[in-house]
Amino acid sequence: MIGYVPGASALHRAHPYTPLAIATGLFLMAFAVSAPGAVWVVVAAAALFAASAGVLGTVLRPAAILALPTWVLLTILHGLLGGAPHVMLGPVAFSVAGGERALVFGGRLAAILLAFLTALATVSPARLVEAMTARGVPFGRVYLLVSTLTVVPRLRARVRRIVDAQQCRGLRLGGSPLARLRALGPLVVPLVLSALAEVDEQALALDVRGGTARGRRTALDPPAERRADRAVRWVVVTAVVAAYAWKFLGAGR
Amino acid sequence: MALDAVTFAYPGAGTPALLDVSLAIEAGTVTGVTGAVGAGTSTLLLVAGGFAPRLTGGALSGRRDIATNRISIVFATPWTQLTGLATTVRAEVAFGPASLGWPRGSVLAACEAALRDLGVEHLADRDPGTLSGGELQRVVVASVLAMEPELLVLDDPAAELDPAGADALYALLPELARRGTAVLVATPDSERLARTAERVLVMEGGRVARDGPPAAVLDDTDVARIAWAAGCPAPYPLDVAALVARVVR
Repeated sequence: MIGYVPGASALHRAHPYTPLAIATGLFLMAFAVSAPGAVWVVVAAAALFAASAGVLGTVLRPAAILALPTWVLLTILHGLLGGAPHVMLGPVAFSVAGGERALVFGGRLAAILLAFLTALATVSPARLVEAMTARGVPFGRVYLLVSTLTVVPRLRARVRRIVDAQQCRGLRLGGSPLARLRALGPLVVPLVLSALAEVDEQALALDVRGGTARGRRTALDPPAERRADRAVRWVVVTAVVAAYAWKFLGAGR
Repeated sequence: MALDAVTFAYPGAGTPALLDVSLAIEAGTVTGVTGAVGAGTSTLLLVAGGFAPRLTGGALSGRRDIATNRISIVFATPWTQLTGLATTVRAEVAFGPASLGWPRGSVLAACEAALRDLGVEHLADRDPGTLSGGELQRVVVASVLAMEPELLVLDDPAAELDPAGADALYALLPELARRGTAVLVATPDSERLARTAERVLVMEGGRVARDGPPAAVLDDTDVARIAWAAGCPAPYPLDVAALVARVVR
């Protein structure tokens, strides 16, 4: 599941900008440090971020599914093509330096995925709309961001409907890899065509509902921005600035 | 809203979907549009509402005057008419007025009034994604009514409703007209048009083939068919009350 997961944690209740700021901070921190151990501390921080919202179990699986192929590729490429020193793993000479680089890149990927999937899981799109509206962000930009954040759950729901409909018409999804590949056509074509049709109809619906109206929208229930929200965001900014200062002053190398 | 010799063709279409259409829609009236599939009823609504060619593309010739920019449209399928940004029915209905920048109190008042008009107050805190098609369509209609349109265009709005829901929706249209809204509704449902609209346009091949009061232009309601079979001369009574009145006279 990649999308908002209702909950009552402090992160769910926080101003929507706060989880987004923490996720952005973790993303920047992952690139501010370059030692494998330090990168994996950032990964641990991202996991803690998810756990504090009670969504660690929810985000781990998609994060692993997204990261695993890249981790394998990084390990093979850097391990086999990296420089000395090497360790022998059976008949294969594995580069220690390459392995460390793979750990760094893989860790950064893990941190980014965990951080942003957690933000997706904890920020309610409706509250984010209200928060951005209250700040006077033009609706076009609000819609662009929020529709991007909600695209995966919507596509999943559509895929489920199409799979059900095609199975009712006799489509078989199991069998050999070739048979599975063949079954993709009747799923992908209606998925793409219906998504394009919906874009048209939703554009019309939003136009009718004032989505293209000029002037400032009224925020009906803007999320409260408490002192704790501001404090957390300042801590994130300070930590990121300090990490980059450390990096560029040479002490972090 | 007035159209004068309007012809409209969709992009890439060989033949126009509307041909030389002239009509005027007055405030405070309910005008029905009916016709076979492909006759141009939906296109007439899009053109009359100013949505075509602005959003659909295509070419329009002739003269079109729309005296208001408070225009709303409702389609037959409710699922694609949601904003996708609201987690409650109340937020969905309030979306339109909020987009127009109305003060918060006015938005909430308009929202509650529209929910009440459509009989969906009890759904206000529900997630729109959990509603049935009929409930959702009533929410969609409430969402456009909350914006207090001066021209309301409805394309087969009761397609997803049960008979009672459809009756309730059609009963609301004359009430909206009494409040000053110009209502333009397309449907193949002659029975309900006969009861609701004071004027009906019958479309054929993109043209307005007939235009007048329901009793003068409609002849395909159940009662009209019975009257025809009984040898009653045209124009046929369209509902039981008209048939009784004819018999008594």
